[in-house]
Amino acid sequence: MSSIASEPILDRAADVPPPPRSFIAQVMGQAFIRWSARIGAIWIALVAFCAAFAPFIANSEPFILKSRGTLSFPLFRGLHPVDIVLPVATIVGTIVLARRKMQFFASLCLVLWACALTAAASCWPSTADYLKQMQSLFGQSAAIVLLVCFWTGLAAVIVLAPIFISRRSTLITGLCLLPLLIWLMIYPVRPPKTVVYEKYRDLARAGQVDYALYAILPYSPSDRLRDMGDSAFLPPSATHPMGTEYAGADVLSRMIYACRIALAIGLISTGIARLIGVLVGGLMGYFAGTLDILGMRLIEIFEAIPTLFLLITFVAFYGRNLYAMMVIIGITGWTSTARFIRAEFLKLRKQDFVQAAIAAGLPLRSVLFRHMLPNGVTPVLVTTSFGIAAAILYESTLSFLGLGLIDEPSWGQMLNQARGVGASFVWWIAIYPGMAIFLTVLAYNLIGEALRDAIDPHLTKA
Amino acid sequence: MQPPLLEINKLSIGFDTPRGPIQPVREVSLSIFPGQTLAVVGESGCGKSVTALSILRLIPQPPGRFLGGQVFLEGRDLLKLPEKQMRQVRGHQIAMIFQEPMTSLNPVYTIGEQIVEAVTLHQHVTRTQAYKIAEKALHDVGIADPRRRLFEYPHQMSGGMRQRVMIAMALSCQPKLLIADEPTTALDVTIQAQILELLQRLQRETGMAIILITHDLGVVAENADVVAVMYASRVVEFAKVEDLFDHPQHPYTQGLLRSVPRLGDTATRLQTIAGTVPNPAQFPAGCKFHPRCPSMQGDMTCATIEPDLREIRPGHWVACHHAQGYSQSPITTPHLDYTHTVPMDLITNRIEPTPAKERTP
Ligand SMILES: Nc1ncnc2c1ncn2[C@@H]1O[C@H](COP(=O)(O)OP(=O)(O)OP(=O)(O)O)[C@@H](O)[C@H]1O
Ligand SMILES: [Mg+2]
Repeated sequence: MSSIASEPILDRAADVPPPPRSFIAQVMGQAFIRWSARIGAIWIALVAFCAAFAPFIANSEPFILKSRGTLSFPLFRGLHPVDIVLPVATIVGTIVLARRKMQFFASLCLVLWACALTAAASCWPSTADYLKQMQSLFGQSAAIVLLVCFWTGLAAVIVLAPIFISRRSTLITGLCLLPLLIWLMIYPVRPPKTVVYEKYRDLARAGQVDYALYAILPYSPSDRLRDMGDSAFLPPSATHPMGTEYAGADVLSRMIYACRIALAIGLISTGIARLIGVLVGGLMGYFAGTLDILGMRLIEIFEAIPTLFLLITFVAFYGRNLYAMMVIIGITGWTSTARFIRAEFLKLRKQDFVQAAIAAGLPLRSVLFRHMLPNGVTPVLVTTSFGIAAAILYESTLSFLGLGLIDEPSWGQMLNQARGVGASFVWWIAIYPGMAIFLTVLAYNLIGEALRDAIDPHLTKA
Repeated sequence: MQPPLLEINKLSIGFDTPRGPIQPVREVSLSIFPGQTLAVVGESGCGKSVTALSILRLIPQPPGRFLGGQVFLEGRDLLKLPEKQMRQVRGHQIAMIFQEPMTSLNPVYTIGEQIVEAVTLHQHVTRTQAYKIAEKALHDVGIADPRRRLFEYPHQMSGGMRQRVMIAMALSCQPKLLIADEPTTALDVTIQAQILELLQRLQRETGMAIILITHDLGVVAENADVVAVMYASRVVEFAKVEDLFDHPQHPYTQGLLRSVPRLGDTATRLQTIAGTVPNPAQFPAGCKFHPRCPSMQGDMTCATIEPDLREIRPGHWVACHHAQGYSQSPITTPHLDYTHTVPMDLITNRIEPTPAKERTP
């Protein structure tokens, strides 16, 4: 009967099935064989590392301080929940990725919960602040009602969910969403802002420090070095490897913290764009016909919006807001994705395996996003890496024009500050952030190009 | 008498093509009883696949449109079902396997994941149980080492194996009807035979009905109980397999049978049907076959009036003005013996296409 199932001769050890490699994993593998893509990835990883661990790399406050016999940990006291969540997410995420054994959603769930729990733990000392801030945000009674409802509700959900939710997918989605909710409630908590950095240096100068362990770069980005007299516009030296800016803050330290905005703006805005693009493009391609025509007109309308001018107009009317910037870049940048996905889906919907999936009675959600999307998503990887680069450039442009954030450093904003006293040119504030922008954009483009080449033969083969 | 499992009643389907509207399916009526195999034959482009797809409402709309007719599955009109209930029918009651095994499986997922998704959808089982069911289904279709195969990707398998996987997937939910659209055309001859044998065995074991779409009259003779011959979007002849092979009534069927090599035939050249299939955008008036018909002989009725499908003998339907009927006693000539494998009782008991008017939905 089964003469065609001629088995290759296997040795006994190979009885265990090898870990399967998905199509996307294959494409990734092929793309990152290239040295250019690898260099790009290494640079991005470096930026990501700096972003995640910034407060531990560059900080004016010492890790450990022993002064007049008392031991304290000033650096940890001043950390924002974000500062703790980012490294935890990075470490847990890397471990999960490296082990490669877990399912995607299970690992996502794990990372999110690790973040939420560490964030909650990090807020514990400042519970009093938390209550105060919630009050100032929502008003006293509303804050109390909100808090009581939220935290008891949360506890109830966590306890009851496994009992009532029988479908595995619902449970996992819930488990992923809960930490995000917790995070949202924790977000208003801020550490005490009145840090006077020079007090440690004063202590040191007064000889009252028995022992202190500083970060590699003992300067915070907002550390204006007021105590050091004439410290503005110092050229690069051993103490300040990239010099100082107009207020005397260390440029390298600001560069490191600016990685955060560069990464966040790129990832979040393209994330929004991809989400809209995949949804709209997928529906257009799958249903074709009238919906397709309407969608195409919508795409054309959005393509006609000049993103940069919209951003400038928005900032002019509503003030500087990083999140609004991300949203604007996101909702104007989805059109290319939608076009790609539409084209892919138009092709895919006629393919036999999609027909077979529909014929098996699978619901639309599964047909669209489980069966069609993974087969058509690879071009989106390409647009994503180019999109991230574009988003970083938008933010830099805006900041360079002086319309970006003020309280947090970004590379574009530093470029703006390279205009020294009396419009002179301060080369070290221009060169380094300029190089960083250039390298990051280049890195994303290198990765995008490698991905594009990697998916080409696959598309014709499959 | 058992009611038919599936009954197609005067189904018409249109497509809006850039070159104008066409009707790949026109007033097609078919019926199939539980446990039966219905073969649909006809030249390329005559509307076999569109008919099959329309049963499950898989016609892409647009450009496709249902112009009329009903498709009854155990008395329920599938064309009127809401989409949600239709999904219950797909895969669960009616399963379908496609022509191209190389592209019918999703390259991104393992065989196991694909079968398990379908199984958990239609049956209330846990994933572990579903994997057990999938493993058994693979075993049933004759795949060696099913447990290991569950974790393999489609590209790691040969065409014949993938078609077996498709069959396993289709049968894992125990459908009442399996639609097989040229399930063996893309496979080589030895594997074709194995797959058809497998389908027959599974049919005996599960009692499901099969609609087998094929070009191959040898396959029809060996596997089918009843045959529908389609020409230019219509069913032109519908009969028990041995009636059709022994007494083909429609000139097109006769031509088809003459164009197949037979055992003991001494002719050196195969006969063909003169002319070509008409373009669906511009069918001729009257009988669609009349420009190619050898027995028309200048009859103006053929050129002007389209013949209806009529029952010339019990269970033998023909759409031809000239079909006369024939005597009961089968004239079995040795070289026409295609039908040696078909159990006679099965055929005589079950064939009964109900005329369209009798049915009220
Ligand atoms: N999606 C579609 N859009 C437009 N026309 C179509 C579409 N699908 C099928 N047709 C037309 O419908 C007619 C019947 O096609 P169908 O696929 O049913 O033929 P078939 O009998 O299955 O042929 P084959 O034996 O080659 O598979 C053809 O003329 C074809 O051009
Ligand atoms: Mg076909």
